[in-house]
Amino acid sequence: MARQWGMVIDLDRCTGCEACVVACRAENNIATVGDDQAARGRAIHWLRVERYYEGDFPDVKVKFMPVMCQQCGAAPCEPVCPTFASYHTEEGLNGQIYNRCIGTRYCSNACPYNLRFFNFYNASWDKPLDLQLNPDVSVRGVGVMEKCTFCVQRIKASEIQAEAEKRPLKDGEVRPACVQSCPTRAMVFGDLNDPTSEVARLARSNRATKLLEEVGTLPQVTYLKRDSWNGAENS
Amino acid sequence: MAQKTPEQINDDLLRPLQATSLKYKLILAFFFAIVVAAGLAFAHQIDYGIGVAGIRRPVFWGFYITNFVFWIGLSHAGTLISAILRLCNATWRRPVTRCAEVITVFALSIGATFPVIHLGRPWLAFWLFPYPSERGIWPNVRSPLLWDFFAINTYLLGSVTFLLLPMIPDFALVRDRAMGFRKKIYSALSLGWTGTPKQWHRLETAMHIMAIAVIPVAVSVHSIVSWDFAMAPVPMWHSTIFAPYFVAGAIFSGIAALIIAMALLRKFLHLEEYLLPIHFENLGKLLLVMSLLWFYFVASERLTAWYGNEPSEMTVLLLTQRGSFSPLFWTMVFCNFLIPFPILAIKKFRTITGCVIASIGVVIGMWLERFLIIVPSLSRKYLPYAWVTAPYRPTWVELTITAGTFAAMVMLYMLFSKFIPIISVWELKAGQHPEAEGAVTGHKLPAGSEAGAD
Amino acid sequence: MAAPDTIYGLFPGPAAAERGMNALRDAGVAREKIVVMSDEPFEEYEFTRTERNVTMYRLAACGGIVGGTLGFLLARYMQVAYRFPLITGGMPLVSPFPTGIVTYELTMLSAIVTTVITLLVTTSLPNWKPKVYDEEVSHGLVLIGVVDPPEGARADLESRLQRAGAAKIKGTGRFARN
Repeated sequence: MARQWGMVIDLDRCTGCEACVVACRAENNIATVGDDQAARGRAIHWLRVERYYEGDFPDVKVKFMPVMCQQCGAAPCEPVCPTFASYHTEEGLNGQIYNRCIGTRYCSNACPYNLRFFNFYNASWDKPLDLQLNPDVSVRGVGVMEKCTFCVQRIKASEIQAEAEKRPLKDGEVRPACVQSCPTRAMVFGDLNDPTSEVARLARSNRATKLLEEVGTLPQVTYLKRDSWNGAENS
Repeated sequence: MAQKTPEQINDDLLRPLQATSLKYKLILAFFFAIVVAAGLAFAHQIDYGIGVAGIRRPVFWGFYITNFVFWIGLSHAGTLISAILRLCNATWRRPVTRCAEVITVFALSIGATFPVIHLGRPWLAFWLFPYPSERGIWPNVRSPLLWDFFAINTYLLGSVTFLLLPMIPDFALVRDRAMGFRKKIYSALSLGWTGTPKQWHRLETAMHIMAIAVIPVAVSVHSIVSWDFAMAPVPMWHSTIFAPYFVAGAIFSGIAALIIAMALLRKFLHLEEYLLPIHFENLGKLLLVMSLLWFYFVASERLTAWYGNEPSEMTVLLLTQRGSFSPLFWTMVFCNFLIPFPILAIKKFRTITGCVIASIGVVIGMWLERFLIIVPSLSRKYLPYAWVTAPYRPTWVELTITAGTFAAMVMLYMLFSKFIPIISVWELKAGQHPEAEGAVTGHKLPAGSEAGAD
Repeated sequence: MAAPDTIYGLFPGPAAAERGMNALRDAGVAREKIVVMSDEPFEEYEFTRTERNVTMYRLAACGGIVGGTLGFLLARYMQVAYRFPLITGGMPLVSPFPTGIVTYELTMLSAIVTTVITLLVTTSLPNWKPKVYDEEVSHGLVLIGVVDPPEGARADLESRLQRAGAAKIKGTGRFARN
């Protein structure tokens, strides 16, 4: 059976440290747009940690939720792209082909999670920061949409390595940058179609929920949290 | 209207083609300067990047798409007047048809530039065209933007032919009066038209077929433009009412633009005896009907959203009605309904001036309506974390290009009326016969009876 | 090829033109040899009667069908012409709604284009060769004349046109007056 990449994020373990955000930026050559552009709402963060505050001091509760591209099974961004820049791979990823993108930005309007980002200008890195760029990931030019790819370069590298060594991929061998950097191991990545994989096991947990499930996008990212939405405790 | 001889009609309607005043040249130069400024702004945008426009995350569509929908909507003027009234045998449409068709063609051309202007990489816009590409892929027909491509191109070609075909006899008319180089050009344009009955019959049949064909195309074009929004799961976009809502709104703004254009032509080209108060009254009544229809659609959409009380929809609804967009929203209601309704409903106010005031209000109101459909919904989608705190603000680039489109419309209209009679001369003459509109009497007068003029 | 030789009269209005036409028919001139030109359609008068044409409607409909078929094939081709099938999540590969839209638009487009081409072909436009025409037609006069009349009929035809009320009598080719 073909692989179906998926991720599980345990919100009870997430501390909101944002190491995953930084790792994602470093791994994927994400441009820093500058404070002026960020104030105008154009900052690019493929993975963001959403912070929700509940209650008043001193009974404040903070909830952290890392949100990245949910790689939806029925992605609303895919049918609307006129040039097939946003497409679905056989392994369950929503791929973005930068070369095909002409910048209509329809996909970002159709995405209910607001996790597609646009390059409003050409990115630039002052020397010597350009030496930190990851050679496995292309640098996007002006007018191109981008988003989390589940570190497809790491997936491909591991697959090629496994094929070269004539062995199947081990569970946990592929780790995107965010999964690798999480100190509490809140994020787990793997093949949802493999029933023995950790991610498939966790996705079957009774703490499992999905983001904006009612919109019908069939996201591949599962969130685990102890309290359900009506406050009842799940064991 | 007092019967005029054919020669008088010829002289009146061809007069604008013969003399150009200094005032005309100055006004034309002014609008041309604005169009050039818009072109420079677009060049600046290509040079520096689409970031010079005000769009931001998550409001990825702003002024450019507003203009796109607005201008495509405005282009429905011609279809209503030319095609629908032609098929209904409404005789009063005759002086008005070409004015309307010209609005259609130019508004459509202007609107069709915006899908290129708003792209992040406009130099690749040709990828929307289905051709066997070396990249091995074709455009994605599932995308409403591709439907836009086919629909707008079909409508553009249909409208251009709908405009050009009845111009052939008028080109022949001008050819017979022109001299020298102009005569050569108009000879070429008139295709050697001589006016035999066979040519007239074929032309009128062709116009009839085109009128039947272009109406469904116009309806489909604006439905497809509305589906750019309705096909995405965005709160207050994903509504089934969008297609008829947009078509009605398009005809609404088109009639308003036509009234304004006619009033200006009447004043500047001295066509007071051809564009009569009755024309404005009839169009005013149509505008009143469309205003009521527009109000009906807006009320239906908002009432159902409000009653349904779905959280994401209510957020957007309250944002427009009570929140930060409420000044624009209530201005829109004022301009689209509260001003036009009393002016157009009460006969005493339905004068030419009254109709023009109402129409200006409608044009402003319809532009605001397009803006208010796009921006509030994008500002408040499902996840509150991504809601916009600093609102969308257009930059000078977007404002200049918007101003440039209005200037381009006026400029193109002025140029058109200088080279081609803005009122269709042969249709006007044909409408003056007592048994006009296709009723063939077939009577054979005895030879030698009293000769009369007509 | 030069314009054919004609004798024609310029009539001040459709009623007079009608009489002119009747005069020529009474003289035994065949309808195909009578040339009529006007700057308005004058649908309701007999002298502009030609054969009805339903072919334009049928041709437009046929053109529409042809265009629609091509549109359908294009839309279908664009969705299947890949080395591997598109992953659509269980939705159809050739989705009916977009295919229908493209088919519909190309149907209407080709109906319109067919109409224009039919118009140009059946009226023999564009025709910039020398032909029978008089610029007075665009001043409101109706031209009724005979193409290639037999020799010796000139005086008879001209007097008939005169009596029917022609404002001017002219000719082209060997019948030209100066």
